[in-house]
Amino acid sequence: MASLPAKVPLSEINAELPWRLAVPQVLWFDAKLRVWLSAQDKPAPLAIVISGTGSDGNTQTISTLRAALYGAGYHVLTMPSPTSPAFIVSASSTGVAGDLMRDGKDLYAAMQEIVAHLPRKVRITDIDLVGYSLGGAHAAIVKSIDATEHKLKIHRVVMINPPVSLFSSVGRLDRLFAAAIGPGDQAVELLYRRLYAQIANLYRASDRLELDENFLLSAGAATLKTDAEFSAAIALTFRLQLVDMFFIGDLYAKTGVVTDPAHPPKVSDSLEGIQRDLRAKPFADYFTRVFAPYYLKRRPDATSASLIASNRLDIISDVLRDDGDYYAQTTSNDLILNRSELTWLQETLGPRIVVYDHGGHLGEIGERQQVADMLDMLSGSWPRSAQ
Amino acid sequence: MKAAVLAGLLAALLLDGCASQVLSIRTVPDQTPAADNAAAAANAAAFADAVAAESANSAAEAQDAPPLLTPADAPPMYTYDPWERLNRFTYRFNARFDEAIFLPVADTYRRAPRPIRAGIHNFFGNLAEIDSVINYTLQWRLKYGCRSLSRLAINSTIGIGGLFDVATKLKLPGTPTGFATTLAKWGMHPGPYLVIPLLGPSTLRDGVGFLGDYGAEYGINVAGLYRGDVSWGLGTVNAIDQRANINFRYYSGGSPFEYETIRFLYVRRRLIEDEGLHLKEPVKKTADEVPAGK
Repeated sequence: MASLPAKVPLSEINAELPWRLAVPQVLWFDAKLRVWLSAQDKPAPLAIVISGTGSDGNTQTISTLRAALYGAGYHVLTMPSPTSPAFIVSASSTGVAGDLMRDGKDLYAAMQEIVAHLPRKVRITDIDLVGYSLGGAHAAIVKSIDATEHKLKIHRVVMINPPVSLFSSVGRLDRLFAAAIGPGDQAVELLYRRLYAQIANLYRASDRLELDENFLLSAGAATLKTDAEFSAAIALTFRLQLVDMFFIGDLYAKTGVVTDPAHPPKVSDSLEGIQRDLRAKPFADYFTRVFAPYYLKRRPDATSASLIASNRLDIISDVLRDDGDYYAQTTSNDLILNRSELTWLQETLGPRIVVYDHGGHLGEIGERQQVADMLDMLSGSWPRSAQ
Repeated sequence: MKAAVLAGLLAALLLDGCASQVLSIRTVPDQTPAADNAAAAANAAAFADAVAAESANSAAEAQDAPPLLTPADAPPMYTYDPWERLNRFTYRFNARFDEAIFLPVADTYRRAPRPIRAGIHNFFGNLAEIDSVINYTLQWRLKYGCRSLSRLAINSTIGIGGLFDVATKLKLPGTPTGFATTLAKWGMHPGPYLVIPLLGPSTLRDGVGFLGDYGAEYGINVAGLYRGDVSWGLGTVNAIDQRANINFRYYSGGSPFEYETIRFLYVRRRLIEDEGLHLKEPVKKTADEVPAGK
């Protein structure tokens, strides 16, 4: 592990964004966009960190990156993914997440609003972006938008484990779900039963009296020992995030897949049935039943194929190739990339990408080498001279 | 005192209403990544040691060991929640109360010097030992009862009225229990899921347990702290101290299904703890169609 600072100050910022759409009753708690700031007490560059699919701006991965960046002297602003429930409700101009360019524009607008209203004592000398997983693709898109609009003057971008084709990456996660867990909600129930029995047995064998967070974390880690179990955990985490996005998209787009557009659910209504239905649905269902109907109605020239094609990182391949301020870190065994996508990233970015030989999807984050390389990339001293 | 507490709550409500700017900023406790990493590593190592020691143990006394649970023994994923409509309203009320009053007050409280907060936390922890002693006795778990009694004696004297937790330093860590666990030990089912105003997730049994704990404290009325005006102030400080020590934020991930998730986790956690209480008894089979908790 990289060495981390002993103390990182932290503020939670809740932003009320003027373009927010009407908030559905059952999503009342997501009306404000919540981001997190760790400010230096002297002038410093600002690193904006963007979360991965469905995640808020204060995940474990974010904490690790925040500590590393703050320790290196950056102000750090961490933001939720445009596909996270709170972002969709508070900051999306559509309510239907998943379109790389549209989500990127919403994210860029939210960044401007927040940076413009930060307390004056936060003195910013430069702005860089870091994003992991889907957040990596968002970071690159946001910089490309800024290159024409010049509102934030974003300098450098580091993408960590980014996808190349959003939809083929989620397709792989769906296949992983089917392989590691099985089809449908019954498979989720089986997985739950296995985990319950294992954790209960560990608890019974221990002399603990209370089942606290530490115990659960350790027991979870002890339970997820094999690659297959890890895969199941990754696939399930992704599916649960998709469930949130699917439900919210269906509500906003009024597509009627699991909610009745004429009678949207109320605060007192049980959502368990909806959640159960959605757990069994792969991303392909979200695409065909919510995403595509919504965007095809608004983009007369578009087709399903063109929607898929516009959700690839190569829509900005020219700037990725020509602008020396885009960097990437990934691993040779990242499950969201296939070989040709990895090759495409390497050919496009040239010396500005580093590929680690281990870590899978995000597993390398926080390691000494990853942190050192990321900081070199952000400061413009990458690639290091031959040592 | 009652009036002061109410005035404080009102002021917090009004202040909250004043925040109308684009950004509202809330300072939260510093993160301590280096220490967190070290603690996580130590925790994982301790857990691995404990598991290793236990498996060595259970190999030695395999005869007495209870049969291991199998996936078929796990309760179903559905939770018994006949009062769901009311519970959902209460959940929203709790979330709003937390956001508007509880959290801002706890944030302010956290600015007090650490030794003072530790003293307050230890003081209430020590008072709670009385309830633990009673309930461990009722549960007939006398080893733990003695531990709680020793803690109470040590901390009330050497620990100056409970302000210092000397007992933990003497390798007598606190393991609080309550009437809810006593009811579970006696075999009472958790009953329906219940969201209690201000307190949060519970079940009918755990709610009764909470009332039982309160009744015991009220009945014993140690040092006259639990009746009259002083009890209001004390109860408020106790609540703030507890809130400041709980790392939970309503809707932190923003998921529309948080109510379902919390209900699921709370009830499963309690069921696993119940299993631990009935170690030596044969595992009850749960029929698939009966929701968890019923």
